[in-house]
Amino acid sequence: MKFKISLAGLKARWKDYLVLFSGMLMTTAIFYMFEAVSTNNAFTTASRVGQNAKFVFIFGSVLLSLITIVYIFYANNFLMSMRKHDYGLFMMLGAKPSVISRLIMTETLIIGVGSTVIGIILGWGLTKGISGLLVSQLDITLTHFHALYVPAIRATFILFIILFLIAGSLNAITFFRTSALQLLKSQQQSDWKPAKKSILAIEALLGVALLAGGYYAMYDIEELKIMSIPIGLVTIVLGTYFVFNSFFIMLLTILQRSSIGKKGLNSFTIAQLKFRIKDYTKILSVVSLLFALALGAITVGIGFQQMAPKLAAGNSPYALALTNPTHKMRSMINNLDHATQTTYQQKVVGKTVYYRQQQLKAQPLKYAYFKSNDVAKAAVKSIGLNELRDPQSEEYLSAQRLQAPQFQSFQLKAVSDDNFNHIQAQPKQLLVVAVTDMNSQSKQLTKIFNLESQRTSSKYIEMLPGSFSIYQQVKGIFASVQFMGIFLGIAFLAMLASCLMFKILSGTTTDKRRFEMLNKIGTKKSALRHSIMIQVFGLFGLPAILGLIDVAFGLQMFEQSNMLYGSYQIFSWSAIAFVVLYLIYYGLTVLIYSRIVVPRTKVEK
Amino acid sequence: MTNEIVKTTNLHKIYDKNGAKPYEALKGISFTVKQGEFVGIMGASGSGKTTLLNIMATLDQPTSGTVQISGEDVTHLTSNQMADFRSRHLGFIFQDFNLLETLTTSENIALPLSLQNVKTSQIQPAVDKVAKQLGIDELLSKYPNQLSGGQKQRVAAARALVSNPSIIFGDEPTGALDSKNARELLDTMTSINKKGVSILLVTHDPFSASFCQRIMFIKDGKIGDELSAQGKSRNEFYQEILNKLGTFEQ
Repeated sequence: MKFKISLAGLKARWKDYLVLFSGMLMTTAIFYMFEAVSTNNAFTTASRVGQNAKFVFIFGSVLLSLITIVYIFYANNFLMSMRKHDYGLFMMLGAKPSVISRLIMTETLIIGVGSTVIGIILGWGLTKGISGLLVSQLDITLTHFHALYVPAIRATFILFIILFLIAGSLNAITFFRTSALQLLKSQQQSDWKPAKKSILAIEALLGVALLAGGYYAMYDIEELKIMSIPIGLVTIVLGTYFVFNSFFIMLLTILQRSSIGKKGLNSFTIAQLKFRIKDYTKILSVVSLLFALALGAITVGIGFQQMAPKLAAGNSPYALALTNPTHKMRSMINNLDHATQTTYQQKVVGKTVYYRQQQLKAQPLKYAYFKSNDVAKAAVKSIGLNELRDPQSEEYLSAQRLQAPQFQSFQLKAVSDDNFNHIQAQPKQLLVVAVTDMNSQSKQLTKIFNLESQRTSSKYIEMLPGSFSIYQQVKGIFASVQFMGIFLGIAFLAMLASCLMFKILSGTTTDKRRFEMLNKIGTKKSALRHSIMIQVFGLFGLPAILGLIDVAFGLQMFEQSNMLYGSYQIFSWSAIAFVVLYLIYYGLTVLIYSRIVVPRTKVEK
Repeated sequence: MTNEIVKTTNLHKIYDKNGAKPYEALKGISFTVKQGEFVGIMGASGSGKTTLLNIMATLDQPTSGTVQISGEDVTHLTSNQMADFRSRHLGFIFQDFNLLETLTTSENIALPLSLQNVKTSQIQPAVDKVAKQLGIDELLSKYPNQLSGGQKQRVAAARALVSNPSIIFGDEPTGALDSKNARELLDTMTSINKKGVSILLVTHDPFSASFCQRIMFIKDGKIGDELSAQGKSRNEFYQEILNKLGTFEQ
């Protein structure tokens, strides 16, 4: 019977529950997505970076669990605000508190188990879809990655069921302690008290100052070194909080007092926004910070990967250096675009590789190096004959690395044509190939590189000369970082946006009355919708804007310390992608919110 | 004709939700309210008085029949026109005040004017004037949760008055007030009325109704009876209402 009543309760308000349920599904699915990556040790530790990044996943898991907890409690509040009146009525009719408590527990668990199970299935689908898409788009291969991963299912299921049990018990306790009358009259009253002007001003100033300090700390990483990270972290977290708690409120107050604030519904809209921001300070701060973290992770991940050609360029001026290339290799090299090739004759005797002095003079070998420890600015210069005589010089060592792996420890010698001709050995050819754009030639180069690898014994593969092997290694390492960055960034963002969406939607019960009153005193529906759009935009937009600024300054850390170059271009693209995804949530929230609070022609009394 | 503020002609309202049995809430209601009148509509729950108020207030549309306010037929307006009409011609005082907690008293009162896009420079003087008239000029910078119930309702009355409406609709305005505050509000409404503002009060409280000049009793969707206060003291009129209710409700 009680089960029946609980089900009937669900049926009666299925539309509200649908909103709640779909939010829960998203949360579960996203959590599963994250766990599918983070619990898969074989996958995360497959790359060198992954091994070092283990703590990132532990940190990420904790963070996501915290957001999940917050989310479930918001959703649960939404659920309870819908049910208070009904339960009050049951109690009024004589249902014992213990019976009500059991009813609530049943209801919460039905929703919990249902959304968890379906959410995991959805998460599996999402993981499969997104990882497939990324693999094809980023042109990477993922080893040991499974969309359906039992430890992830286990982790997701356990966390969510525990959370729902806690939520259910808390609900039950709350109802146990509340009288029927309180429940029946539980129309949420907001106790809006304006903050003291002086405190507001001090906090606002402090917020801006802290943020500015944090941004400066990140910018000035060269001076502050490692200290800039803790300084930035503390000041930005606190600054964000105060900026939401006071600075934005102050700006809105000024706007409200201006003539704009007195036009149409503006005074209402601004006041609502002020009230909400104050009420949501914590969640808005968290959203803003995590928005920045997710976006930053993606940008840096992609940024590092795009550094591959630059890192490679500083390593060797030649993409490939092939000793005695096969016919097939030669024809493939001829097909490369914008490639220059030079051939040198060599003879190997004992532990010495001989070259023609004349040839080296006419077309010197080149040597690449990073300008003043700057990983992005490679310079190239020719290797003179004198330098080739000095085995300690960088130039000599670099020429040595161009030899076939088995000769790399051999001595190099440039001799006259006469001497060269008299050396009793089979002449060989060293073909060096330079390309102007490694990214665009990467497919063709890979094919040639693979042919070269095939004829090289496996112990020498890692030593194959030319910058393309470095390029491939860097790409390989950072492709998985990039994958994780994008994958988890999306997961984080989706979670945050749905969290925010719910927090906003859970306020609809109180807003419904306000909007009905506005309708009665003659506000057009279009004006009401417009007001909603602005209000929700404020709540979505402000943390996003602050998050974007955070990343913009955060990237300075990488730029100033010469770890990344041109990251702002990547940043702008990933920011656009983020904003689009975020806008979808925004639109959805506005739509659902309007449907709930904008009255139809007939106003219910 | 011109001194008729409200004129309803043969109003019918049938609720016909799909699946449910059709229910006729109003069964041919016709009456007029003259300029400057203070009229009450009384009736038990379910008698149709809220439906009638919603239709007159352009919050709902009748199934058939017409409502004219200040000579304009409001029954066939579009949703936007209705909203415009409400903001220009009607004032409301609700039972639960319906003030916005996030706005100050002054901002709450100013809201109908901002909605009509009245110039900013004209808004504050209008707010000050009506606040003074209702004795709440000291409260203008306070927020609703800093006010007592009676003060809140006077703010609501000021909000209803500020746009100089043709008529004020009161929907059980004393319902949430104690007897002292209720009395004060009714006195205020009477003095507003004496300045020429027409008021239509929907109530089931005989005490509130006794402040009206004329009372229409509505039962089962029809107007059954009418009482006029003319030539009677308020006490006598109150007694008369009580007697009428005693017989009317049976």
